[in-house]
Amino acid sequence: MMNNIENEIREMVSIILEVPVEKLTPDVDFFKDLNVDSLKAIEIVAAFEKKYRIIVPEEDIPKIRNLGQLIEYTKNIKKS
Amino acid sequence: MMIWDQEKIKSFLPHREPFIFIDEILAIEGTQKIIAVKKIEDSEDYFKGHFPGNPIMPGVLIIEAMAQASVILFSLDRPHIATMRPDYYLGKVKAEFLAPAHPGDQLIIESNKVKFLDNAAITDTLAKINDRIVAKANLVFSIQRK
Repeated sequence: MMNNIENEIREMVSIILEVPVEKLTPDVDFFKDLNVDSLKAIEIVAAFEKKYRIIVPEEDIPKIRNLGQLIEYTKNIKKS
Repeated sequence: MMIWDQEKIKSFLPHREPFIFIDEILAIEGTQKIIAVKKIEDSEDYFKGHFPGNPIMPGVLIIEAMAQASVILFSLDRPHIATMRPDYYLGKVKAEFLAPAHPGDQLIIESNKVKFLDNAAITDTLAKINDRIVAKANLVFSIQRK
């Protein structure tokens, strides 16, 4: 089940960033390695919120710097 | 019924003539939705060339009107940012144009908040003429404080 969520998130981020899924390793830094700017960041957040029907608090956004952290964040939301 | 005139609109928008494309605000639903009006006049300068004898409002200017309505909505949601007079940069537009807009038409523009952050925003927008949707667009823009 969680593998499905990981794959869903990886695919979603891949489409928004126009980066092949194989390049989206868990620790590649969105901002330093993939040049994610404020526009791409808000697109990821909006897509994530729509898919999982949650609101990501604004203060949480800078803490999510890579795919691994985004997946971990999702796991914690699913638990709560 | 108008709730804001253009003078009040100018207190929220940095744009001025001839590049202000919102004439009135008809409704504001909290910080979720705003409904604005652009009255398309015969005298608009761009009709001289778009097109001679066949005036049609350029689609990019409909997008501009949608973006200006979105900036007002953002300003209502984030007054602490808006009062700093930031620059608003349209970064990404996904749009469909369904029918032309002509002189004499009244463009009703709806902008709906999708996601607002201090440095970026997304809105879903519609433009209607007589209840018919003539354009729709998803706008992503960045907000840069000076």
